[in-house]
Amino acid sequence: MDIMRVTLVLFLLWAVLPIASAQSRVNQCLTCHEALDDKPSGLFKHDVHFEKGVTCAGCHGGDPSAEEMDQGMASEKGFIGVPKGDDISKACARCHSNASIMVKEYNSVLPRNQSEILATSVHGKLSTTGKEHIAQCTTCHNAHGIVSAKNPASPVHPLNVTKTCSKCHADAAFMRAYNPALPVDQLEKYRTSVHGVKNNHGDAKVAACASCHGSHDIRSASDVKSKVYASNLPTTCGTCHANRNYMKGYKIPTDQVRKFSSSVHGKALLEKHDLGAPACNDCHGNHGAAPPDIESVSKVCGTCHALNASLFASSPHKAAFDSRRLPECETCHGYHEIVAGTDDLLGVSPNAVCSRCHNENRNPKGYAAARNMRQLIDSLESFEINADSLVANAEQKGMEVSEARFKLRDTRQARLQSRTMVHAFDEQKFREVISKGVEVASLVTAEGQSAIDEYYFRRWGLGIATLIITIVAGSLYLTIRRIEKAQSAKEETH
Amino acid sequence: MKKPLWKRIYTWVDERVTLEDLVTFLGKKYVPLHRHSIWYYFGGVSLFLFIIQVVTGILLLLYYKGGEELAFESVQFLMAKVHFGWLIRSIHSWAANLFILAGMIHMFSVYFGKAYRKPREMTWLTGMLMFFLAMGFGFSGYLLPWNELAFFATKVGTDIAGVVPFFGKSIMEFLRGGEDVTGATLSRFFGFHVAVFPGIFTLLLGIHLILVQRQGMSEPIEDGVNDAHTRKTMPFFPNFLLRDLLLWLIVLNLIAILAVFFPWELGKKADLFASAPAGIKPEWYFLFMFQTLKYLPAQLWIIDGEIFGIMVFGVAGLLWMLVPFWDRKSSKGERSRRINYLGVIAVMYIIILTILGWTS
Amino acid sequence: MNESMTAQTQEGKRGFLKFVLSGSLLALAGSIFYPIFAYLKPPKSGEVEVSSVKAGKVNEIEKDSGKIVKFGTKPVILLRTAGDELRAFSATCTHLDCTVQYKKEMGLIWCACHNGKYDMNGRNVSGPPPRPLDEYRVVVQGDEIIISKKA
Repeated sequence: MDIMRVTLVLFLLWAVLPIASAQSRVNQCLTCHEALDDKPSGLFKHDVHFEKGVTCAGCHGGDPSAEEMDQGMASEKGFIGVPKGDDISKACARCHSNASIMVKEYNSVLPRNQSEILATSVHGKLSTTGKEHIAQCTTCHNAHGIVSAKNPASPVHPLNVTKTCSKCHADAAFMRAYNPALPVDQLEKYRTSVHGVKNNHGDAKVAACASCHGSHDIRSASDVKSKVYASNLPTTCGTCHANRNYMKGYKIPTDQVRKFSSSVHGKALLEKHDLGAPACNDCHGNHGAAPPDIESVSKVCGTCHALNASLFASSPHKAAFDSRRLPECETCHGYHEIVAGTDDLLGVSPNAVCSRCHNENRNPKGYAAARNMRQLIDSLESFEINADSLVANAEQKGMEVSEARFKLRDTRQARLQSRTMVHAFDEQKFREVISKGVEVASLVTAEGQSAIDEYYFRRWGLGIATLIITIVAGSLYLTIRRIEKAQSAKEETH
Repeated sequence: MKKPLWKRIYTWVDERVTLEDLVTFLGKKYVPLHRHSIWYYFGGVSLFLFIIQVVTGILLLLYYKGGEELAFESVQFLMAKVHFGWLIRSIHSWAANLFILAGMIHMFSVYFGKAYRKPREMTWLTGMLMFFLAMGFGFSGYLLPWNELAFFATKVGTDIAGVVPFFGKSIMEFLRGGEDVTGATLSRFFGFHVAVFPGIFTLLLGIHLILVQRQGMSEPIEDGVNDAHTRKTMPFFPNFLLRDLLLWLIVLNLIAILAVFFPWELGKKADLFASAPAGIKPEWYFLFMFQTLKYLPAQLWIIDGEIFGIMVFGVAGLLWMLVPFWDRKSSKGERSRRINYLGVIAVMYIIILTILGWTS
Repeated sequence: MNESMTAQTQEGKRGFLKFVLSGSLLALAGSIFYPIFAYLKPPKSGEVEVSSVKAGKVNEIEKDSGKIVKFGTKPVILLRTAGDELRAFSATCTHLDCTVQYKKEMGLIWCACHNGKYDMNGRNVSGPPPRPLDEYRVVVQGDEIIISKKA
């Protein structure tokens, strides 16, 4: 019994000691300032640093054990008062960038490179005074009530971060001093987006400012290293949207990034680095991100594919699709997984999209139009291939056909134009474009053929010339023999 | 009987210019027959090829446009649009190479036959000068289409010229019309190729041919048998001439076949700012010298390797040209083993290094 | 009898040989001179092009319009502005090589493939094109427009 009691006391002491020792890191500063009803001290009580036993002196310097003010706030004891400007971040970094403090003393798994990263980010630039950087740690994290970002009380918690960022970024006058061209309506737009609406209703999982832009590593969107740079954006969006587990409960697919990466837009953007190709934000919007409505799909696609969109809008398909609530471009081309538009899409074969609606018996006119247009473009393609092979053949034979090659461009151009003209869904107009291409292709075919004919003509010509020369040489030789025979005969008779 | 037309023309001219002497002289010309007679034809073949060059060259002049803006395009135009332009141009390019080859064979056959010995020293000298001019023709003509290969070959070639001590830089700038190979070089080379060289060459050719006519054909030095009675001969007119023409016909056919089956390439237009493609080498007749320079080490005692090489070739060429003057034995009519060996070494060297240069 | 016959056949042979020789010589001359004469006849397309190109007469292109002209192997767009200035640019779009056109209603050079737009100075102002169009030099000789490469 005694042994048990002793063990219990020892155990209690052991359990209480750390807390005591925390308190034993005497914080006289707090004791006094609390009594003064000082706001920072009130906040500090809820601070994570307070929990971990860091005293006021941890940031402000001085002697926390001293009861007297002039001793506690002595500059000889390292007191720096209220740090201003870069001194603030330096104070934070003293611990937060120090592995021996963070890991050894506090067993923290927090990163230790925030200052470093911040210095290279856009917020690491100098402010308008030139005396300090734009953002200090306390700008976003606050000074005295600092809690983990996962804590809903933190200003950088997803549900609060929009307010925090807007403090500067929604202030037009403030932003004008740094980048007059930068918009200041991001929050407004955000609130119209799916993310913004959900965030407003307390969903901390959806994207908020830091989810896409980063926290310490924020860079301008035109900076190649930025998380929202065009070719990095699909990966950034995919951090959530491609994660099945994360997206559970939201009832939307998680295959967008995968589909997009294999699409013609994705390949152009991600593999060929064509910045003209759309990333997620070009179709969905940035801060006002939402999928486009059914009637506006062609407008969105039409920002680049202007001609196709305007042809479609004035074609019979517009009304037909709208009445059936079919999403315009997407119906035939898909949306994330858009593949390069080939001739296969047109016509009545199994791969083609036209016959999905245009049944041979029920819609014979449409069916016939689809079938005919496909035949026309196929015939143009075969003309072009034929012309191209003739020209290539002539080139291989060493004949000069650069002009024909040039004209071949026009045939290719006609084929591209016809693929656009399809969107008018008018057989007559289509035929016109095709026939222009066929005309050029026939010209090129003729030129290629004549080059090849010339090649053979040269060989024939050589053959005939050789024949003539051989006959001359032969008869010349015989003449020589004759002359010499006559000469030797003459000599003999002499 | 009415005289045939050609006889009447002949009489008309003869009454005014006394052709009789000339005809008698020509009728007496003979060509010695021996086992080395075959080499006699190569002078004529060289001449024939030169004539072809002049004719095709003049025809090309009608369409070729000098100047870096238009040179390449005009040759392209020639090859693609002008009727038989491809033929004229390919003949010109092929005949150029065959001309130099025939010239080489002619030169070596004369060398081994010691035909340069007294009294034919001047014939040899004019011949050697013509040979150097032929190389000049080849070098200058090669640049005229202003294509990539030619541009860089000219750059390398004139760079080498610039290595000659003392005068090298001036020579190079004279050739290039400036410090680098530019349109100015093209203009210069064009002037050399169609005016300067043809003029000088024609002069030398005239002297060369007159000398041959006056002195007749030389015979190889043979022990004893130089007896006027036992010598076998063939009259120049009509026998040798007809045989000569026969050979010329065959050469003509050969050129036609080459022109059709191996048309001369044009390639890409020269770009002054592009970097040199790998494996630039000069035409085959310069290759043995080019390859030799490649093999020489960068430094030989105190002399730079390239300079050394050029000096050696310069001295060798000079000695070769002056062989009639230092080959004492041949001028006395004695056989000279040393000359033969020297010649064989020279031929072998040229052949081996050309092959090495071609296959490297 | 035999001798005169052999003499005759010999004569016959000689005559035949002479005939063949002269006939074939004539053919040879023909096969040499025919190409030369054909060569001397200037071919249809006359001029060597490509360092400069004739683009038609000034009155053949309307004000505020553009037309495509072939320059060597490349297309060039010739513009006549409303202010009666002549300008020429490469007509190959700097995005994916489609051929551009002049759009009067936009007052711009436009590419139909992905809605790329260039201003009247060839600068890429909208859409995917990453670079401006190369400019060409336009000169008017008499009433003939000549387009050439910019120095």
